[in-house]
Amino acid sequence: MLAAIVRSSLIRLVPVGMVMLALQRTVFAEIEVSGVIVQVVLALAAAAGAAGGSERGAMAGFTLGVMFDLVEGTPIGSTAIAFTLAGVVAGLLALIAADPQWWLSAIFVGLGAAVGEAMLPVVRIFIGEEDPWPPQMVKVVAIVTVAATVLSPLLVPLGRWCLRIRGPEWKAPADLPSV
Amino acid sequence: MAIYTVGRRRVIVGLLLTAALLLTLDLRGNAVLDTVRDGFSRAMSPVERAADVVTNPVQRGWNSYNNYDDLERENQALRDQLDRQRGTQAAAEASIIDYNLLLALNNLPSLTGIPTAKAQVVGGATNNIDQIVEINKGTNDGIRQGMAVVNQAGLIGKITQANATTSKVMLVTDPRYSIAVEILAGTGETSSLDDLETSNTTPSGNTEEEIDQIILDAVESDNDDAVEDGADAETDDGDIDGETNDGETDDGEPADETPADVFANDIDLPQAGDLPDPGVVTPETTTTTLPPAVIPGEDAPPVTDPDGNPIETTTTTTTIVDLEPEQLEKEFGEMQGRGAGQLPQIRFLQDIPSLAVLEVGDLVETAGPSESLAPPNIPVGRVINRADRPGVAGPLLEIELYADLDKLNFVRVVLFRPLSEAGE
Repeated sequence: MLAAIVRSSLIRLVPVGMVMLALQRTVFAEIEVSGVIVQVVLALAAAAGAAGGSERGAMAGFTLGVMFDLVEGTPIGSTAIAFTLAGVVAGLLALIAADPQWWLSAIFVGLGAAVGEAMLPVVRIFIGEEDPWPPQMVKVVAIVTVAATVLSPLLVPLGRWCLRIRGPEWKAPADLPSV
Repeated sequence: MAIYTVGRRRVIVGLLLTAALLLTLDLRGNAVLDTVRDGFSRAMSPVERAADVVTNPVQRGWNSYNNYDDLERENQALRDQLDRQRGTQAAAEASIIDYNLLLALNNLPSLTGIPTAKAQVVGGATNNIDQIVEINKGTNDGIRQGMAVVNQAGLIGKITQANATTSKVMLVTDPRYSIAVEILAGTGETSSLDDLETSNTTPSGNTEEEIDQIILDAVESDNDDAVEDGADAETDDGDIDGETNDGETDDGEPADETPADVFANDIDLPQAGDLPDPGVVTPETTTTTLPPAVIPGEDAPPVTDPDGNPIETTTTTTTIVDLEPEQLEKEFGEMQGRGAGQLPQIRFLQDIPSLAVLEVGDLVETAGPSESLAPPNIPVGRVINRADRPGVAGPLLEIELYADLDKLNFVRVVLFRPLSEAGE
């Protein structure tokens, strides 16, 4: 079992998530873009999904979301649900391309982050909060999406490393030597 | 759909259900989850400190770039504000002291008797929904969940989670925050308190001009008496000074009576032990040299004692606010936050003109009923907008907070627990 844990993606994801959480709570909490806090942990969850597919993205989003809830004091699971969905949506990229271009990954990371950010107040509604919608919700989602898209060239490789995903080893037919 | 298989879908659904289960457990309160949360916060603490140190130059650079103009404008505005407030600070401090003395005299609870714990804000909100900041004091310093948090300006929030060395503070702008408040009706725009102009008067109610006139009249009357007495004396005894040999005038008054004595007889000076009139705020005792009364066309007679020294009289200058003290009507309601950038609102109000008329500018304080987590009389803010609602819903008030929640640094946690909780 210990070997399974060591081999699992959690052994890398948890410490990386802690560092990202620390960055979220320090520098990214300070740097607001038009009054909106950039969600770098959410972007990492989406990037993991874009790198590894829906299943791995869901696991990464769930893990990062629970960590976020633990450290933020929000109800445990509320952020995890939103981040899980973010990873799932970003992982839909695997349905389109097996080895996507960086800009395609960036688009899906942005999409995943948008879904995750939009789901946060929805989950809060389900747990009984009154009016959890932040003012100017559209602006918040838009800025979080753009920020995640911009950060994706950094976060997708990081997510790939966390999930122990190796690059594709097959070669295109054009590269094969002629018989 | 080969990649998006049924098995993978099961994993995703399982994770979502697990999150929902955790959510349910946490909302119902679970000691295990609380322990895990506390442990994870401890584990995160050194990582956060390291990240803070490493990224500090980035934060400073961003702030320098982003906030320089705002800081300059704010600095200028604050200087103006400081100049204005210096003038009112002394009077306010005296009023607060008087207020606390009165509370102590009547055995009423006051904020001064409640201990506080100083803390510093070490973390801000990290998402775009919650209005929660983190402070660097926790249960080790006596902080418990629910305690009110204030800064120099007023109420800023309450403790929602207390760990050993850190605590989470939910700001008053958070949509989940609500607290009972009282609105001091009559302190707003049309308040008569704003029109008060304190005038220095004596206890008799005479102004300085009136006192000068009294002195003038007294001197004139005394001179007239002296002239008449002189005429009588010249007629009777041939003595023009009008004095008898035993040192008394004809009507039996002391011969060395001065205008000051006349003045003193006319003014009802306060005696030790006298209670001040209603509305008297600040009595100040000053010793002044009696100004010489000037009679038009004549030289001013010297006001001296028999030894030739100038006479000093003690007058009491009293600031009278109003003979009828202003009766402030209170209305109670519930203040609730509405998110970042939105003003908190007060609901559940009744606007009955015969009791209290709520208006823009009214002061808002915590009401502190017996089960409230916050003690009474913590200043919160001022009413800035009023919206009337149809029917019996009552008006809706928007509050401009005294505290600037965007720039929190040092705060105080009011170590107050209501009796209902302290007894547990």
